[in-house]
Amino acid sequence: MLTGAAAQRRDIGSDLLTRIAGFSGFLHANGYGVSASDSVDIVDTASQTGILNQAILRWNLKSLLCERYEEWQRFDTLFDAYFLPPNKNVFMQSDAAARSQEVTAASDDDGALDSQTTAEHAVVDATDVAGHGASREENLSSTDFSDLNHADQARKVEALMRRLAQRLKHLQLRREVRSHRGRRLDLQSTIRQSVATGGTPLRFAWKTRRRVRPRLVLLLDVSRSMNAWSFFYLRLARALCKELKDVHCFIFHTRVTSVSEALRDPDPWRAQERLNVLAVGWGGGTRIGECLQDFNREQGARLVHSRTGVIIVSDGYDTGDTALLADALATLRRRARRIVWFNPLLNQPDFTPVARGMRTAMPYLDLLAPGADLAAIERVLPQLIESLA
Amino acid sequence: MDDIAGLQRQLESAGYIADSALAATLLLTLDLGRPLLVEGDAGVGKTEIAKAFATVRSARLIRLQCYEGLDVHAAMYEWNYQRQLLAIKLLEQDDRPLAAKEQDIFSETYLLKRPLLEAISCEESPVLLIDEVDRADEAFEAYLLELLSDFQISIPELGTIKAITRPLVIITSNGTRELSDALRRRCLYQFIEHPDFAKELAIVKIKAPQAADQLARQVVAFVQQVRRMELQKKPGIAETLDWTAALLRMGITVIDDDGAERIIDTLSALIKTREDRTGFTPDVVARIAATC
Repeated sequence: MLTGAAAQRRDIGSDLLTRIAGFSGFLHANGYGVSASDSVDIVDTASQTGILNQAILRWNLKSLLCERYEEWQRFDTLFDAYFLPPNKNVFMQSDAAARSQEVTAASDDDGALDSQTTAEHAVVDATDVAGHGASREENLSSTDFSDLNHADQARKVEALMRRLAQRLKHLQLRREVRSHRGRRLDLQSTIRQSVATGGTPLRFAWKTRRRVRPRLVLLLDVSRSMNAWSFFYLRLARALCKELKDVHCFIFHTRVTSVSEALRDPDPWRAQERLNVLAVGWGGGTRIGECLQDFNREQGARLVHSRTGVIIVSDGYDTGDTALLADALATLRRRARRIVWFNPLLNQPDFTPVARGMRTAMPYLDLLAPGADLAAIERVLPQLIESLA
Repeated sequence: MDDIAGLQRQLESAGYIADSALAATLLLTLDLGRPLLVEGDAGVGKTEIAKAFATVRSARLIRLQCYEGLDVHAAMYEWNYQRQLLAIKLLEQDDRPLAAKEQDIFSETYLLKRPLLEAISCEESPVLLIDEVDRADEAFEAYLLELLSDFQISIPELGTIKAITRPLVIITSNGTRELSDALRRRCLYQFIEHPDFAKELAIVKIKAPQAADQLARQVVAFVQQVRRMELQKKPGIAETLDWTAALLRMGITVIDDDGAERIIDTLSALIKTREDRTGFTPDVVARIAATC
């Protein structure tokens, strides 16, 4: 019964096989980490289990081609887009403007217009949407991400992040590992090694402390007041993502959105496209408290654990409820190992944290650091490392 | 489709309710001989999959629980060096040539098999459960990859041990650490969500048959509501079952808003942190109970 599926080999026309094999290319274009060998596996699987049943094909390909939760979530839509008749286009090709129109159509739907006419007529700009008032000050004009790629300081940023990553690698936790040298004797392996010399312990084995990198979660404020620094920090984030594996990056303004996958995309053009889609609302108002609360609810349990350093980048100008912010930070505080807050305004000599959000946040932070430019970040690097340890 | 339904039935009789997608994936792991990586929140029954699958195939279940600092000696093999030392002392009077003695000391008699070696040296293909692989460190993951691609272990003193039969490998992860792409690529992937009402009800009926039909329905409805609340730790299936047992123990046969006080006494089986607990005032419990 169990190996029955293997027994039922079915012939599939070569057209069909090509089509199915092409699915892995389609997924690749949508940012899945599929390799050439996967197409072979797809065809194998399909010819073993048959393709007549759509459900089985879907389940099999899903478990075969997905590698992580984000991919698992998106799979069904992509599967439908590829295998169900009308829509063969790569999903990401829809540009940011079209996407934001869809969003407005969804959020401003007063029931008066049917969605089709909305989509046709919606010529969106920021003031127009602010006039609707449905989404509190979300900026829907598209942001130009091309700046992200040919940036003059890109190399400096990468160098700095490499240094940060390197220093993070040297963080030590109170775990021990065997080594050739050290301060504490590892009795068990010393005796084990003594077998070779007939029970006389000639060589000693030692224990040293083990190095463990913390997980980093970056929360970048990209609201209007942060405009001058948003790109700079996104660049930092991308360089950091390249250096370290366990970095998770989010942008927030009135909502919080994960951009890790987009930043990790090796193809710079496609990374740009994906950011375009994700960045609806870039440069609008800020609701830090609500965003952090959303983050806690949706990602907190999965991402933040006792070895996580949370880095928040924001100027603290909050249009939302500060009580919410305090609440969210307190929750985050309990989960995370450390919370570090970068405030670009902190560089100014006469700065005192007067912004409401900043004042509320102060008691929950392990480190409040200035960060308007590379030099400033470079200066606080030792403190940052220390506070993450 | 028949295969899948069949496997589902078998899993059910082994005490595990699997949806068709999971059953299809399990069949695929058999066909392709690839490991299966299972992710999902704590308490959704990741580990149970391996147990039930082992029962269905009447295979041995070999379990490797990963933890920080897990090393080769705890996962693969270790020499029984106390016995080896003893043997050396005893062999001192022996006048066999040195090489023979050495071979004697490093023979399989003195080898302690740990789960991974055990799994590849079974006569019949076992189910190997590598639990919470994210707790082990990256070095171990690399070692695991090697094992999963070749199914052989080389022991310097003894030579290479090849798998007689391929074990069915099920790996679970809770996401405390990001797993390497290489490991993910090698595995089939399955994400398990919290069960919906129908599935959870089926589970409660299978695992706690002593609960009456009405109570089971109410319990599940209550837990489903609780999961929708903002909690630090959402109750898993294990908590649902514990709570059912607690209710039965307290002699509560129906959940209604009148009994809110008594229900609160049993909530320690369901809600596991102090912050979450403070949210469950009698009013809240009564309100949820009224909707069940």
